[in-house]
Amino acid sequence: MSLLSRFKLRFRQGRGRLAASEPILLEAASASGLNDLTERLNRWGRLWSPGEDEPEHTHARTIVTRRLTGWMERCFGEHMPASLNGAGDPISLASSMPVLTAFLGRRATRELSRRVLRDV
Amino acid sequence: MIAYLHFLVTGTYVWLGWFFVVAGSLFFLVMTATECWLAFTCRSWFDADEPMRLAWGMIAFAALARLAGVVIREVADGRLPWGPVQLRPLFGGVFANLGQMGLFVGGPLSMAFLAIGLGRVLQTQRRFWLRGPLTLGDRVLLVLIIAFSVSQLVINLSLLGGHPSPGAVLLWLSDPLLALLLIEAVLVRRAVVRIGQGLLAKCWGMFVMAIVTTSLGDAAIWANNHDLLSKRLTALSWYIWFVAAAAFASAPAYQLAAISIVQEPNLRQPASR
Repeated sequence: MSLLSRFKLRFRQGRGRLAASEPILLEAASASGLNDLTERLNRWGRLWSPGEDEPEHTHARTIVTRRLTGWMERCFGEHMPASLNGAGDPISLASSMPVLTAFLGRRATRELSRRVLRDV
Repeated sequence: MIAYLHFLVTGTYVWLGWFFVVAGSLFFLVMTATECWLAFTCRSWFDADEPMRLAWGMIAFAALARLAGVVIREVADGRLPWGPVQLRPLFGGVFANLGQMGLFVGGPLSMAFLAIGLGRVLQTQRRFWLRGPLTLGDRVLLVLIIAFSVSQLVINLSLLGGHPSPGAVLLWLSDPLLALLLIEAVLVRRAVVRIGQGLLAKCWGMFVMAIVTTSLGDAAIWANNHDLLSKRLTALSWYIWFVAAAAFASAPAYQLAAISIVQEPNLRQPASR
Protein backbone atom coordinates (compact mmCIF):
# COMPACT_ATOMS: atom_id res chain seq x y z
CA MET A 1 0.00 0.00 0.00
CA SER A 2 1.44 3.37 -0.99
CA LEU A 3 1.86 6.24 1.47
CA LEU A 4 -0.95 8.20 -0.20
CA SER A 5 -3.39 5.25 0.00
CA ARG A 6 -2.56 4.81 3.68
CA PHE A 7 -3.25 8.48 4.27
CA LYS A 8 -6.58 8.27 2.43
CA LEU A 9 -7.60 5.22 4.50
CA ARG A 10 -6.70 6.98 7.78
CA PHE A 11 -8.57 10.09 6.60
CA ARG A 12 -11.72 8.05 5.81
CA GLN A 13 -11.52 6.29 9.19
CA GLY A 14 -11.13 9.62 10.96
CA ARG A 15 -14.05 11.11 9.07
CA GLY A 16 -16.22 8.11 10.02
CA ARG A 17 -15.39 8.63 13.67
CA LEU A 18 -16.27 12.30 13.42
CA ALA A 19 -19.63 11.58 11.80
CA ALA A 20 -20.47 8.95 14.40
CA SER A 21 -19.70 11.17 17.38
CA GLU A 22 -22.53 12.61 19.47
CA PRO A 23 -23.86 16.05 18.41
CA ILE A 24 -23.03 18.84 20.85
CA LEU A 25 -26.09 20.36 22.46
CA LEU A 26 -25.95 24.10 23.05
CA GLU A 27 -28.43 26.16 25.01
CA ALA A 28 -29.80 29.30 23.39
CA ALA A 29 -28.62 32.55 24.98
CA SER A 30 -31.17 34.91 26.53
CA ALA A 31 -32.45 37.83 24.45
CA SER A 32 -30.80 40.42 26.71
CA GLY A 33 -27.45 38.62 26.39
CA LEU A 34 -27.71 38.58 22.60
CA ASN A 35 -28.58 42.27 22.48
CA ASP A 36 -25.62 43.05 24.72
CA LEU A 37 -23.31 41.02 22.49
CA THR A 38 -24.65 42.65 19.30
CA GLU A 39 -24.18 46.10 20.81
CA ARG A 40 -20.61 45.30 21.84
CA LEU A 41 -19.72 43.81 18.43
CA ASN A 42 -21.14 46.83 16.62
CA ARG A 43 -19.20 49.19 18.87
CA TRP A 44 -15.94 47.34 18.26
CA GLY A 45 -16.66 47.13 14.55
CA ARG A 46 -17.00 50.91 14.37
CA LEU A 47 -13.72 51.32 16.23
CA TRP A 48 -11.90 48.92 13.95
CA SER A 49 -12.52 50.83 10.77
CA PRO A 50 -13.58 54.43 10.27
CA GLY A 51 -17.08 54.70 8.89
CA GLU A 52 -19.90 57.19 9.40
CA ASP A 53 -19.18 59.77 12.10
CA GLU A 54 -21.35 59.28 15.13
CA PRO A 55 -20.60 61.74 17.95
CA GLU A 56 -20.34 59.11 20.71
CA HIS A 57 -17.75 57.12 18.77
CA THR A 58 -15.66 59.99 17.44
CA HIS A 59 -13.85 60.51 20.73
CA ALA A 60 -13.08 56.79 21.13
CA ARG A 61 -11.88 56.57 17.55
CA THR A 62 -9.62 59.58 18.05
CA ILE A 63 -8.03 57.91 21.08
CA VAL A 64 -7.54 54.66 19.14
CA THR A 65 -6.01 56.52 16.18
CA ARG A 66 -3.67 58.50 18.42
CA ARG A 67 -2.50 55.43 20.29
CA LEU A 68 -2.07 53.40 17.10
CA THR A 69 -0.08 56.17 15.47
CA GLY A 70 2.15 56.33 18.54
CA TRP A 71 2.78 52.58 18.49
CA MET A 72 3.47 52.62 14.76
CA GLU A 73 5.99 55.42 15.19
CA ARG A 74 7.65 53.66 18.09
CA CYS A 75 7.83 50.22 16.47
CA PHE A 76 8.41 51.11 12.80
CA GLY A 77 9.33 54.76 12.44
CA GLU A 78 7.95 58.29 12.40
CA HIS A 79 6.96 58.11 8.71
CA MET A 80 5.20 54.76 8.99
CA PRO A 81 1.63 56.04 9.59
CA ALA A 82 1.93 58.32 6.54
CA SER A 83 3.38 55.62 4.30
CA LEU A 84 0.71 53.15 5.40
CA ASN A 85 -2.16 55.56 4.74
CA GLY A 86 -1.00 57.39 1.66
CA ALA A 87 -4.52 58.60 0.85
CA GLY A 88 -4.59 60.66 4.05
CA ASP A 89 -7.26 58.55 5.78
CA PRO A 90 -6.83 58.29 9.56
CA ILE A 91 -5.03 55.17 10.68
CA SER A 92 -7.35 52.45 11.97
CA LEU A 93 -7.03 49.05 13.61
CA ALA A 94 -8.21 47.40 10.40
CA SER A 95 -5.56 49.10 8.27
CA SER A 96 -2.67 48.68 10.70
CA MET A 97 -3.20 45.19 12.10
CA PRO A 98 -1.95 43.24 9.03
CA VAL A 99 1.39 45.07 8.91
CA LEU A 100 1.83 44.88 12.68
CA THR A 101 1.03 41.16 12.63
CA ALA A 102 3.48 40.56 9.80
CA PHE A 103 6.44 42.24 11.49
CA LEU A 104 5.73 41.83 15.21
CA GLY A 105 3.97 38.49 15.17
CA ARG A 106 0.42 37.52 16.03
CA ARG A 107 0.93 37.28 19.80
CA ALA A 108 2.59 40.67 20.16
CA THR A 109 -0.03 42.31 17.93
CA ARG A 110 -2.84 40.81 19.99
CA GLU A 111 -1.31 42.37 23.09
CA LEU A 112 -0.84 45.67 21.27
CA SER A 113 -4.47 45.82 20.15
CA ARG A 114 -5.52 45.00 23.71
CA ARG A 115 -3.48 47.96 24.94
CA VAL A 116 -4.79 50.26 22.23
CA LEU A 117 -8.39 49.43 23.10
CA ARG A 118 -7.88 49.56 26.87
CA ASP A 119 -10.39 51.88 28.61
CA VAL A 120 -11.97 52.87 25.29
CA MET B 1 42.68 51.42 20.20
CA ILE B 2 45.58 51.25 22.68
CA ALA B 3 46.91 48.20 20.83
CA TYR B 4 46.65 50.06 17.53
CA LEU B 5 48.40 53.15 18.97
CA HIS B 6 51.16 50.86 20.26
CA PHE B 7 51.52 49.46 16.74
CA LEU B 8 51.67 52.99 15.29
CA VAL B 9 54.36 54.06 17.75
CA THR B 10 56.54 50.93 17.83
CA GLY B 11 55.72 49.34 14.47
CA THR B 12 55.50 45.90 16.09
CA TYR B 13 52.47 43.62 16.05
CA VAL B 14 52.95 42.25 19.60
CA TRP B 15 50.12 44.12 21.36
CA LEU B 16 47.91 44.11 18.28
CA GLY B 17 48.36 40.37 17.85
CA TRP B 18 47.64 39.75 21.52
CA PHE B 19 44.54 41.95 21.35
CA PHE B 20 43.07 40.17 18.35
CA VAL B 21 43.95 36.67 19.58
CA VAL B 22 42.55 37.07 23.11
CA ALA B 23 40.07 39.97 23.29
CA GLY B 24 39.09 39.72 19.61
CA SER B 25 38.36 35.99 19.73
CA LEU B 26 36.36 36.40 22.93
CA PHE B 27 34.43 39.36 21.50
CA PHE B 28 33.46 37.50 18.31
CA LEU B 29 32.48 34.42 20.29
CA VAL B 30 30.26 36.42 22.68
CA MET B 31 28.76 38.55 19.89
CA THR B 32 27.88 35.63 17.60
CA ALA B 33 26.50 33.59 20.52
CA THR B 34 24.34 36.56 21.60
CA GLU B 35 23.18 37.15 18.03
CA CYS B 36 22.28 33.48 17.67
CA TRP B 37 20.29 33.43 20.92
CA LEU B 38 18.47 36.69 20.11
CA ALA B 39 17.61 35.55 16.57
CA PHE B 40 16.19 32.23 17.79
CA THR B 41 14.18 34.13 20.44
CA CYS B 42 12.79 36.41 17.71
CA ARG B 43 11.86 33.33 15.66
CA SER B 44 9.98 31.86 18.63
CA TRP B 45 7.69 34.92 18.72
CA PHE B 46 6.24 34.07 15.29
CA ASP B 47 3.82 31.18 14.71
CA ALA B 48 4.55 28.50 12.13
CA ASP B 49 2.22 30.02 9.51
CA GLU B 50 3.67 33.54 9.76
CA PRO B 51 6.06 34.66 6.98
CA MET B 52 8.57 36.28 9.34
CA ARG B 53 9.11 32.98 11.17
CA LEU B 54 10.97 31.67 8.13
CA ALA B 55 12.87 34.95 7.86
CA TRP B 56 14.00 34.86 11.49
CA GLY B 57 14.64 31.13 11.27
CA MET B 58 17.04 31.69 8.39
CA ILE B 59 18.67 34.66 10.13
CA ALA B 60 19.06 32.51 13.26
CA PHE B 61 20.67 29.71 11.21
CA ALA B 62 22.99 32.30 9.65
CA ALA B 63 24.01 33.38 13.15
CA LEU B 64 24.46 29.76 14.21
CA ALA B 65 26.68 29.12 11.17
CA ARG B 66 28.71 32.23 12.01
CA LEU B 67 29.10 31.03 15.61
CA ALA B 68 30.11 27.55 14.42
CA GLY B 69 32.60 29.16 12.02
CA VAL B 70 34.20 31.15 14.86
CA VAL B 71 34.43 28.04 17.08
CA ILE B 72 35.85 25.86 14.27
CA ARG B 73 38.47 28.47 13.43
CA GLU B 74 39.47 28.72 17.10
CA VAL B 75 39.81 24.94 17.24
CA ALA B 76 41.76 24.91 13.97
CA ASP B 77 44.16 27.55 15.27
CA GLY B 78 44.87 25.33 18.26
CA ARG B 79 43.88 27.94 20.83
CA LEU B 80 42.00 25.37 22.90
CA PRO B 81 43.54 23.20 25.64
CA TRP B 82 43.68 20.06 23.46
CA GLY B 83 45.52 21.85 20.65
CA PRO B 84 44.91 21.64 16.86
CA VAL B 85 42.44 19.07 15.52
CA GLN B 86 42.92 17.33 12.17
CA LEU B 87 39.83 17.14 9.94
CA ARG B 88 41.03 15.09 6.98
CA PRO B 89 39.95 11.67 8.35
CA LEU B 90 36.40 13.02 8.92
CA PHE B 91 35.56 14.66 5.61
CA GLY B 92 37.79 12.81 3.16
CA GLY B 93 39.50 15.86 1.72
CA VAL B 94 36.56 18.15 0.82
CA PHE B 95 38.26 20.83 2.89
CA ALA B 96 42.03 21.20 2.93
CA ASN B 97 41.98 21.79 6.70
CA LEU B 98 39.70 22.62 9.61
CA GLY B 99 40.35 26.34 9.17
CA GLN B 100 39.03 26.20 5.60
CA MET B 101 35.92 24.43 6.82
CA GLY B 102 35.45 27.14 9.47
CA LEU B 103 35.77 29.82 6.79
CA PHE B 104 33.12 28.10 4.66
CA VAL B 105 30.66 27.58 7.54
CA GLY B 106 31.09 31.13 8.89
CA GLY B 107 31.27 32.63 5.38
CA PRO B 108 29.30 31.36 2.36
CA LEU B 109 27.01 29.02 4.34
CA SER B 110 26.06 31.76 6.79
CA MET B 111 25.62 34.26 3.93
CA ALA B 112 23.30 31.85 2.07
CA PHE B 113 21.04 31.55 5.13
CA LEU B 114 21.06 35.33 5.61
CA ALA B 115 20.27 35.94 1.93
CA ILE B 116 17.19 33.68 2.18
CA GLY B 117 16.11 35.38 5.41
CA LEU B 118 16.49 38.92 4.05
CA GLY B 119 14.76 37.82 0.83
CA ARG B 120 11.77 36.87 2.93
CA VAL B 121 11.90 40.24 4.75
CA LEU B 122 11.94 42.04 1.38
CA GLN B 123 9.01 39.95 0.16
CA THR B 124 7.00 40.93 3.26
CA GLN B 125 7.99 44.59 2.91
CA ARG B 126 6.86 44.57 -0.72
CA ARG B 127 3.51 43.08 0.31
CA PHE B 128 2.85 46.17 2.41
CA TRP B 129 4.37 48.69 -0.02
CA LEU B 130 7.03 49.65 2.51
CA ARG B 131 9.87 49.80 0.02
CA GLY B 132 10.51 53.19 -1.48
CA PRO B 133 11.59 53.71 -5.11
CA LEU B 134 15.28 53.26 -5.95
CA THR B 135 17.27 56.44 -6.41
CA LEU B 136 19.86 57.00 -9.15
CA GLY B 137 22.59 56.37 -6.58
CA ASP B 138 21.03 53.01 -5.66
CA ARG B 139 20.86 51.98 -9.30
CA VAL B 140 24.50 52.93 -9.90
CA LEU B 141 25.52 50.98 -6.78
CA LEU B 142 23.56 47.92 -7.93
CA VAL B 143 25.20 48.03 -11.36
CA LEU B 144 28.66 48.30 -9.73
CA ILE B 145 27.95 45.36 -7.41
CA ILE B 146 26.76 43.18 -10.28
CA ALA B 147 29.74 44.19 -12.45
CA PHE B 148 32.17 43.39 -9.61
CA SER B 149 30.63 39.98 -8.90
CA VAL B 150 30.65 39.06 -12.63
CA SER B 151 34.34 40.07 -12.87
CA GLN B 152 35.16 37.93 -9.80
CA LEU B 153 33.25 35.01 -11.32
CA VAL B 154 35.27 35.31 -14.54
CA ILE B 155 38.55 35.39 -12.55
CA ASN B 156 37.50 32.34 -10.50
CA LEU B 157 36.36 30.37 -13.56
CA SER B 158 39.76 30.91 -15.16
CA LEU B 159 41.34 29.32 -12.04
CA LEU B 160 39.33 26.12 -12.47
CA GLY B 161 42.00 24.83 -14.88
CA GLY B 162 44.43 24.56 -11.95
CA HIS B 163 42.20 21.90 -10.31
CA PRO B 164 41.54 23.70 -7.01
CA SER B 165 40.27 21.74 -3.98
CA PRO B 166 36.46 21.49 -3.50
CA GLY B 167 36.82 23.55 -0.31
CA ALA B 168 38.50 26.38 -2.21
CA VAL B 169 35.76 26.32 -4.87
CA LEU B 170 33.10 26.48 -2.13
CA LEU B 171 34.84 29.53 -0.68
CA TRP B 172 34.55 31.28 -4.06
CA LEU B 173 30.80 31.43 -3.39
CA SER B 174 31.40 34.16 -0.81
CA ASP B 175 31.80 36.93 -3.44
CA PRO B 176 28.54 36.31 -5.34
CA LEU B 177 26.68 35.74 -2.06
CA LEU B 178 28.05 38.97 -0.61
CA ALA B 179 26.99 40.75 -3.80
CA LEU B 180 23.48 39.31 -3.39
CA LEU B 181 23.42 40.47 0.24
CA LEU B 182 24.54 43.96 -0.81
CA ILE B 183 21.71 44.12 -3.36
CA GLU B 184 19.26 43.08 -0.65
CA ALA B 185 20.82 45.64 1.71
CA VAL B 186 20.24 48.43 -0.84
CA LEU B 187 16.57 47.40 -1.14
CA VAL B 188 16.10 47.04 2.64
CA ARG B 189 17.67 50.49 3.12
CA ARG B 190 14.97 52.00 0.90
CA ALA B 191 12.35 50.73 3.36
CA VAL B 192 14.33 52.11 6.31
CA VAL B 193 14.54 55.54 4.65
CA ARG B 194 10.83 55.42 3.94
CA ILE B 195 9.56 54.52 7.41
CA GLY B 196 11.89 56.46 9.73
CA GLN B 197 13.83 55.59 12.88
CA GLY B 198 11.64 53.18 14.84
CA LEU B 199 12.84 49.93 16.40
CA LEU B 200 12.12 47.77 13.34
CA ALA B 201 13.70 50.32 11.03
CA LYS B 202 16.81 50.20 13.24
CA CYS B 203 16.74 46.39 13.09
CA TRP B 204 16.81 46.42 9.28
CA GLY B 205 19.30 49.29 9.33
CA MET B 206 21.66 47.18 11.43
CA PHE B 207 21.52 44.39 8.84
CA VAL B 208 22.41 46.94 6.16
CA MET B 209 25.29 48.24 8.27
CA ALA B 210 26.54 44.70 8.99
CA ILE B 211 26.50 43.74 5.31
CA VAL B 212 28.19 46.95 4.21
CA THR B 213 30.94 46.64 6.85
CA THR B 214 31.47 42.96 5.94
CA SER B 215 31.90 44.06 2.31
CA LEU B 216 34.36 46.76 3.40
CA GLY B 217 36.32 44.17 5.40
CA ASP B 218 36.42 41.86 2.38
CA ALA B 219 37.48 44.75 0.16
CA ALA B 220 40.28 45.57 2.62
CA ILE B 221 41.49 41.93 2.50
CA TRP B 222 41.42 42.05 -1.31
CA ALA B 223 43.30 45.39 -1.35
CA ASN B 224 45.88 44.05 1.12
CA ASN B 225 46.41 40.91 -1.01
CA HIS B 226 47.15 43.20 -3.96
CA ASP B 227 49.49 45.46 -1.88
CA LEU B 228 47.15 48.42 -2.25
CA LEU B 229 47.02 49.28 1.47
CA SER B 230 49.75 50.50 3.78
CA LYS B 231 50.51 48.47 6.92
CA ARG B 232 48.78 51.10 9.06
CA LEU B 233 45.58 51.00 7.02
CA THR B 234 45.65 47.20 6.91
CA ALA B 235 45.88 46.99 10.70
CA LEU B 236 43.10 49.57 11.04
CA SER B 237 40.88 47.63 8.62
CA TRP B 238 40.93 44.61 10.95
CA TYR B 239 38.74 46.61 13.36
CA ILE B 240 35.92 46.66 10.79
CA TRP B 241 35.01 43.10 11.81
CA PHE B 242 34.15 44.30 15.33
CA VAL B 243 31.64 46.77 13.88
CA ALA B 244 30.16 44.08 11.61
CA ALA B 245 29.79 41.59 14.48
CA ALA B 246 28.18 44.22 16.73
CA ALA B 247 25.76 45.28 13.96
CA PHE B 248 24.77 41.66 13.28
CA ALA B 249 24.02 41.17 16.99
CA SER B 250 22.13 44.48 17.28
CA ALA B 251 19.64 43.64 14.51
CA PRO B 252 17.72 40.87 16.35
CA ALA B 253 18.07 42.90 19.57
CA TYR B 254 16.05 45.73 18.00
CA GLN B 255 13.40 43.29 16.70
CA LEU B 256 13.11 41.76 20.15
CA ALA B 257 12.90 45.23 21.69
CA ALA B 258 9.96 46.04 19.38
CA ILE B 259 8.19 42.84 20.42
CA SER B 260 9.01 43.28 24.13
CA ILE B 261 7.94 46.91 24.31
CA VAL B 262 4.42 45.84 23.40
CA GLN B 263 4.40 43.32 26.25
CA GLU B 264 5.88 45.70 28.83
CA PRO B 265 3.11 46.09 31.47
CA ASN B 266 4.40 49.31 33.06
CA LEU B 267 5.02 51.16 29.82
CA ARG B 268 2.80 54.15 29.08
CA GLN B 269 0.85 54.36 25.84
CA PRO B 270 2.96 56.29 23.34
CA ALA B 271 1.86 59.85 22.82
CA SER B 272 1.51 60.72 19.16
CA ARG B 273 2.31 64.12 17.82
